[in-house]
Amino acid sequence: MSTPVHKRGGPIRDPGDVLAGVVLLIASAILLFHLIPNYIGEPPILQNPMMSPRWLPRIVGWLLLGFSALLIVQGLLVDNTDKEDGRRIEKGPRRRFALMVVALLVYVTLFEALGAVISGILATLILFVAHPVRTWWVYGLAIVFPVVVTFLFVKVMNVPLPVMPF
Amino acid sequence: MEIISEVLQLFLHPENFLAIALGVVIGVVVGSIPGLTATMAVALALPFTFSMEPIAAILLLVGIYKGGMYGGSITAILIRTPGSPASACTLLDGYPMAQQGHAKKALKMALYSSVIADFISNIALIFFAAYLAKIALNFGAPEFFWLICFSLTIIISLASGSMIKGLLAALLGILLSLVGLDEVFGSQRLTFGNYNLMDSISFIPLLIGLFAIPEIVEFYRKKALPHIKAKASGASVTLSEMKRSLKTIVRGSLIGVIIGAIPGTGATAAAFISYSDARRRSPRRDNFGKGEVEGVAASEAGNNGVAGATMIPLLSLGIPGDVITAIILGAFMVHGLTPGPLLFQENLPLIYALFMGIMFSSLVLLVVGNGAIKYFSLIADIPKEILFPIVLMFCVYGAYAVNNDTFDVWLMLGFGVLGYVFNRAAIPAAPFLIGFILGPMFEDNLRRSLLIGGNDLSIFVRGPIAWFFIALTLGSILLALYRYVTARRLPTQTDTSQEAP
Repeated sequence: MSTPVHKRGGPIRDPGDVLAGVVLLIASAILLFHLIPNYIGEPPILQNPMMSPRWLPRIVGWLLLGFSALLIVQGLLVDNTDKEDGRRIEKGPRRRFALMVVALLVYVTLFEALGAVISGILATLILFVAHPVRTWWVYGLAIVFPVVVTFLFVKVMNVPLPVMPF
Repeated sequence: MEIISEVLQLFLHPENFLAIALGVVIGVVVGSIPGLTATMAVALALPFTFSMEPIAAILLLVGIYKGGMYGGSITAILIRTPGSPASACTLLDGYPMAQQGHAKKALKMALYSSVIADFISNIALIFFAAYLAKIALNFGAPEFFWLICFSLTIIISLASGSMIKGLLAALLGILLSLVGLDEVFGSQRLTFGNYNLMDSISFIPLLIGLFAIPEIVEFYRKKALPHIKAKASGASVTLSEMKRSLKTIVRGSLIGVIIGAIPGTGATAAAFISYSDARRRSPRRDNFGKGEVEGVAASEAGNNGVAGATMIPLLSLGIPGDVITAIILGAFMVHGLTPGPLLFQENLPLIYALFMGIMFSSLVLLVVGNGAIKYFSLIADIPKEILFPIVLMFCVYGAYAVNNDTFDVWLMLGFGVLGYVFNRAAIPAAPFLIGFILGPMFEDNLRRSLLIGGNDLSIFVRGPIAWFFIALTLGSILLALYRYVTARRLPTQTDTSQEAP
């Protein structure tokens, strides 16, 4: 299963570029008309508008808007789908990807609660199962590595980490 | 005399030697594993440097950078998978040599040309950085403003792939760099009331997220590929082959130095230019691409010649030349140092100690490369399904260590997703990072210029240095437009020629 390849000839030459352009266009419009006026404070008196905290974000916002529109135009007129730019990948099983997401969630949600060692062991085991690793002794590494890496951070490099839940 | 003893006191510290050796070994090992890049290794090593002395910390990262540059060629030669984009050129002749049973010869030639190029590049760094820094002492805020404009435009215009996407990435980087408290007025900018964002977005989670997480996500998203076994066997480089390739190595090194000193061009371009130059000049040009040892020498000399030279704009002007030097700039900042002309004035012994360490790293690379050549095939044989869980562990621990807060781990994941989306949409991540670093400098120099000039805009065109950088900025915009137009024209011409009977 691989990402669909759209051949030229249709109304949209490069759907990927058009999609990226539309997403960025919407994001820049939200930035310009909602985020900048509401989430960037401006002092009541300004000697020069270029000194305003809103000035650069606004310029960047307008440039983003303009260039994302250009990207849409490029996607409509130019076919870049044949280029080897890393966009096309041969997808693997969904279970593999889903388990990787679970491993990431284990890290972010349980890191402080369970500590670096236990969350590391859990996430590494999940990632080994995700691939799946079929050599049984490799699973032993899922215990060894988190212990060694945590030791390296905490004891050798003096970088504090929550080691254990207790 | 006093400065010499101060420099030696700073440099002759066991921690520095250990940092260089460890850095080079890590760099070579990581570079020789397909899928792991020197950029990723430098990003992951950054949290480890928190407790180190500034010189040792920077030398560790420089060591990884240099080791990684060479390491990338190992897999290119052995299994036709470049460890870094810059090594893509090395496989043109390196892999055919390995297939003919001359893998060891190719690896040795890659090592020797890398070390020679690295040495030449370091010499260039030592000579030109101080000279450039001396000139930069005459720069004021308006000149720096234009210098940053030039750096941004040249990086975008020379970025690989679509120019529009490069621009969009740089703009997004600038935008995210503005999150936090405004330095002049103290007002909040896009923090959404989150105190974690008041001190701007942390650099390390961004870095790890952008350059390490997408590789992991992509590995688990893609179909698992069969593991290819590598073997480093055969005879070594002979003296006559070395003599024959020496001119090519020196020329390639100089090409690397020139290209590396220009922000944004990078090692890949240097390797290909050096390779095509060597092929054009060589009497054995017909053998290029079929397993010519001179071809390996040319591409490796080109890409390693960049390593020292990219540090020229970083140290003398505070402008990172590529992604890795951008990370090294981050390391300087973590240790309370700001690269640029003032660093040469205020911390000269530190700069010289760094130069000594950088020179020493070339020697370490030679020793490590020579000693470990037979183990390279073993390194390249480590399966990714074992490596990536460990890499993820380093990512999470490293991101958490910045502020001891899971917010940074979330931030890292967020940037990881962004990096993955960038990969899928073919948006380059390098301009994003450069934009993130140069954004605050751009705004700071803009505001300082306005304050100095009493809000008079003529301060931006106040003298020849400013005019010079304005001309360069305009030139780089024209170059970008030229590249865009020619890139559009070429496929059309190819299509037309294909359609012709």
